[in-house]
Amino acid sequence: MKILVCISNVPDTTTKIKFADGNTSIDTTGIQWVINPWDELSLTRALELKDDQTNGVRSVTVAHVGPASSEPTIRKALAIGADDAIRINASASDAYYTAFQIAEVVRKEGFDMIICGIESSDFNGSAVGGMVAEFLGIPSVSSVSGIKFEGGSPLLTREIDGGRETVRVTSPFVAIVQKGIAKEPRIASMRGIMTARTKPVRVFEPVAADSLTTVAGFEKPSPRAACRFIDPDNPAQLIDLLQNEAKVL
Amino acid sequence: MTRQLIFTAVFIITLGVFSWTLSRLIKYFKFTRPAFPLRDFGKRFALTLKVAFGQTKIFRRPVIGFFHALVFWGFCIILFGSIEMVIDGLTGSERALHFMGLFYNFMIASGDVFAVLVSISILIFLSRRLFFHVRRFEGTEMKRKSHMDANTALSLILLLMISLIGMNAGYSGYAVRVGDEIHGVYPVGTFVAGLFPGASAENFRLVHDISWWTHILLIFIFANYLPYSKHFHVFMSVPNVFLSRLEPLGKLTNMENITREVRLMMNPETAFSAAPADTPPERFGIKDAEDATWKNYFDSLSCTECGRCTSVCPANITGKKLSPRKIMMDLRARMKEKGPLMIKYGRDFNDNRSLLRDFITEEELWACTTCNACAKECPVNINQPSLIVDMRRYLVLEEASAPGELKSVFNNIENNGAPWQYAAEDRLNWAKDLSFKVPVMSELAAEGKMPEYLFWVGCAGAFDDRYKKVVKAFATILEKLNISYAVLGSEETCTGDPARRAGNEMLFQMQALQVIETLRAYGINKIITACPHCFNIFKNEYPDLGGSFEVVNYLQLIQKYLAEGRLKLSAKALKNAKITFHDPCYLGRANDIYAEPREIVKSLTGNYVEMRRHKSFALCCGAGGAQMFKEAEKGNKEIFIERTEEALSTDAQFVATACPFCMTMITDGLKYKNREDEIKNFDIAELVVQAME
Amino acid sequence: MSVLVYAENWDGLFKKQSFELVSYASAVAAMMNTKVTALSIGKVEKEELAKLGNWGADRIINAVNNELTVFDSQVYTGIIADIAGAEGSKVIIFSNNITGKALAPRLSVRLKAGIAAGVSKLPMSTDPFKVYKRTYSGNAFAHMVINSDVKILTLAQNSFDMTEKPTGAVPETIQVSIDGSIVRTTVTDRVRQTGKILLTDADIVVSGGRGMKSPDNWGPLTELASLLNAATACSRPVSDEGWRPHEEHTGQTGKMIAPNLYIAVGISGATQHLAGVSSSKYIVAINNDKDAPIFEAAQYGIVGDALKILPKLVDAVKELKK
Repeated sequence: MKILVCISNVPDTTTKIKFADGNTSIDTTGIQWVINPWDELSLTRALELKDDQTNGVRSVTVAHVGPASSEPTIRKALAIGADDAIRINASASDAYYTAFQIAEVVRKEGFDMIICGIESSDFNGSAVGGMVAEFLGIPSVSSVSGIKFEGGSPLLTREIDGGRETVRVTSPFVAIVQKGIAKEPRIASMRGIMTARTKPVRVFEPVAADSLTTVAGFEKPSPRAACRFIDPDNPAQLIDLLQNEAKVL
Repeated sequence: MTRQLIFTAVFIITLGVFSWTLSRLIKYFKFTRPAFPLRDFGKRFALTLKVAFGQTKIFRRPVIGFFHALVFWGFCIILFGSIEMVIDGLTGSERALHFMGLFYNFMIASGDVFAVLVSISILIFLSRRLFFHVRRFEGTEMKRKSHMDANTALSLILLLMISLIGMNAGYSGYAVRVGDEIHGVYPVGTFVAGLFPGASAENFRLVHDISWWTHILLIFIFANYLPYSKHFHVFMSVPNVFLSRLEPLGKLTNMENITREVRLMMNPETAFSAAPADTPPERFGIKDAEDATWKNYFDSLSCTECGRCTSVCPANITGKKLSPRKIMMDLRARMKEKGPLMIKYGRDFNDNRSLLRDFITEEELWACTTCNACAKECPVNINQPSLIVDMRRYLVLEEASAPGELKSVFNNIENNGAPWQYAAEDRLNWAKDLSFKVPVMSELAAEGKMPEYLFWVGCAGAFDDRYKKVVKAFATILEKLNISYAVLGSEETCTGDPARRAGNEMLFQMQALQVIETLRAYGINKIITACPHCFNIFKNEYPDLGGSFEVVNYLQLIQKYLAEGRLKLSAKALKNAKITFHDPCYLGRANDIYAEPREIVKSLTGNYVEMRRHKSFALCCGAGGAQMFKEAEKGNKEIFIERTEEALSTDAQFVATACPFCMTMITDGLKYKNREDEIKNFDIAELVVQAME
Repeated sequence: MSVLVYAENWDGLFKKQSFELVSYASAVAAMMNTKVTALSIGKVEKEELAKLGNWGADRIINAVNNELTVFDSQVYTGIIADIAGAEGSKVIIFSNNITGKALAPRLSVRLKAGIAAGVSKLPMSTDPFKVYKRTYSGNAFAHMVINSDVKILTLAQNSFDMTEKPTGAVPETIQVSIDGSIVRTTVTDRVRQTGKILLTDADIVVSGGRGMKSPDNWGPLTELASLLNAATACSRPVSDEGWRPHEEHTGQTGKMIAPNLYIAVGISGATQHLAGVSSSKYIVAINNDKDAPIFEAAQYGIVGDALKILPKLVDAVKELKK
């Protein structure tokens, strides 16, 4: 079984987002780039599955759509334990375009399980995974909180409202995973860091594809109003405000 | 003549057995790794005189320590007599060294008296072990074998002393009856001989001879039993003290092999190239006995299983699995198990067992707070924390294994430069609503100015809501004293302390090299810190990576100005409140700073009170060794509750702390005990500001 | 041309979010001068279907097939694509919930329709079709333009003020066929929490933290929750200590919720907890410590002893209900 983990390169979550170019793009100066947290957990789970020899996972590959500047993030994924990496040399202009590239890679290389994080912390699109599956005409299971093997075939746990389902699916398939897929992200060992320098990163040129959306600009969310304090001796006033001012009661 | 022959034969056999044991031990040592070069012999001699011969560490438990000191000094004195016995045995003489005159008399008489003193001590020790329940003699690592070993050794020593008294009584009793010249002075021997006025010269001669042979044979047996017993410390303790590491306890050793890797990574030219061909595939950290350094192994052989270390370990006290004694015993046991196999099959032999997991579990390793109480307490200067941290290094660097919360801490330090998720931009938020401007390094540099000090705020000072107040207080003091300083603001990044204590040497060194580069770029020489962890790391550990600075802890600064009269404090401002001070491990035991905080607090109130466990005996708050960032290991109590209860028992109104972690722990402790309304936890800086005139 | 809204049902029943979605779709349709078709897959009774008509649905379609026993994203995508094609839908709207996230991307490729996920307002304009889209985990809004002919939107829960708009639409039930070539996923097990108001569905949530001091003090809190028809939640330390069940834990490592009103009692407001509730419309904090970070996220706050204030709040709500 060959596993592909799709990773995206995002600003670290503590970054203060600033705009540039008249608010049409994000100011990237000083940004620390990291693997999308959901993808990091996906990769961790894939490696855990590989660690258990009885699962028959032969390799874990990471794929990324991005320019050469993403290389450090790809190397980090290799340091954590991925066997090899594929970088499609193009800017990820939108989800449709990105998914198209990845689907092409899957067709060329042949993977049995494709794992995508359910969203990326920069675009929160929740789209690439399902799109890849549809391009390839293969099953996809979303909101996956667990992947394991039983009797040699994959068994997924999927979240539903107020509960969860155990789902069996045939390979190849796409698992779109949410936080909880792995307890915490793996860290790179020294050997991992040392070998990451030399593990193969293949660069593919992109195939022709469309983007369906563009971003015309950005704006900051309106700041929240400061807290209004109510006299602790008169808590009834809170109920009054909630009913008549906030209108939530 | 026969006597000589027999003696010589026995002597040679003893030496033979001993040499064989020794040569095996040397072979085991050869498997271990290098520790440090031996230097500073003057300091080492002084230390040995103090700790070994002066028994200063043993006296940390004054009463029982005194009796041990008697045994030790007794052994030293009696050694003289034993040497004489060997000479007598080989040459057929009697009391061969008596020509030394007055000195001889002194040594023999002392030996004679010490025989009694040692016997009394041994009887006390045996009684404690057999009839009383002494907690530190118990533990999961104290199996029946250990107890038998202890009792056997004690009994042997008792017999040695009795036979010595018998020898001396026999000798003096015989000499008196026969009219021989008595060589040496035997106050006890004579007294004992005097108890049997009716006994004949022959009786005394017999008693002497039997005692003599018993004594010397017991010595030979004892000498060969020791290397297999916990009492090996009789041979190993003095050398172990001589070979102690001399640096402050707070300092962890640098991993050179990691430094090499980090420099490769930080150089963009080599960042993605293959490793140079000459790098050896050595293991990072300690997994098994052969990964330990010779000093770790020497430590384990010197360990006498006394349990003083375990009895002061905050983790052990609160029911965690960790026992520093067990760590040392396990290393010794593992080498005993694997050593012969490595001699037979080579160092790389794999018996599918290891020190890690088969002897020492991860749970034990992750329970350590690196408070150094164990190292401080050990009478023979064993350093347990270095072995624990080296094993953590193996787990993190080789297996990428660590408690989940620590993995998040590592990621945070790597991604946003702090153990928690906060943006570097926010590092100066604490300075926003102060009535004065806090100078920032980059701004001063732009104006071509250079302050005298860099005030290193640290991550807690920048992001912990409670500690921000302390940093504000200290900045207020700096402002009031007109001290030339500046802060780095958003250019600060984590010193790497939590990473290093947790075993992530790689991340630590990356952070350290980054910090050193920033400091060098500004040409900074002097640093003031408000956090003992940052203080310890700048002062003791950064120099190994090329960052040597003059480092001042904020308490040292305040105390200096106080002593020079440049800072005036009103003794009335705190209304003579009862104040107690909790020693931070990284200021106290790690760096021997105990006096300055006390001098400051004592000028703030006339009502200063010490907790029972204070100064070098202070109980850790429980947050060190990266414990702050993870769930506590399984135990029956939380360390911070134990310490808070101790603080509460002083009836103090204020508990003074000098560390952001201690403050978090003590404050939480007061909340947990529901006493946070009456009893306040303040940092010393905050108390000073309240009293500043 | 129409706006198609996917009105999800749970065992044949709609939830508030379904109606919110229809209301939103109706407003979008009004902007585009067109009608709203509401589609629900899986058997729903006529009276229940008709409710969609109250919120602006001009057409109500219930797609059924006896083999539709489990949710299979390929199968559902096929059904929706067919109906969208038949209706000539130009905008298709999902909720940004579990189902929406599973279906919208597949449909996007099937219909070559651009997606904007997590919108919380009506489109800025319909030509070009520009929407506010949540990005950087809430730290910025993007003005996203969907250039394709067909557009897909997923609406963030509880972000739209729903308004009633009765249309009197008569529901239609249609039999749909399932593409035989699809290799189906099978569900071997299902575990569901029953009884209480689901935390993720509740409009009002009352949550307790360490400041409640002891599990024995939860009485007034549950009473307040029950009076307000609210779900109960708790912070991580409370759930770790076992004072409250694990399902109540809200926060970064627990449940992320976005109710209309989140009342945090005795919760300090650590970042991880706030991450789970910051999308709430209103946050009320009751805490003894005036410097607790929760007050920076709250719109209303009371500094005081929670155990004294809760009973007074209970009384005030009882008064209100009279």
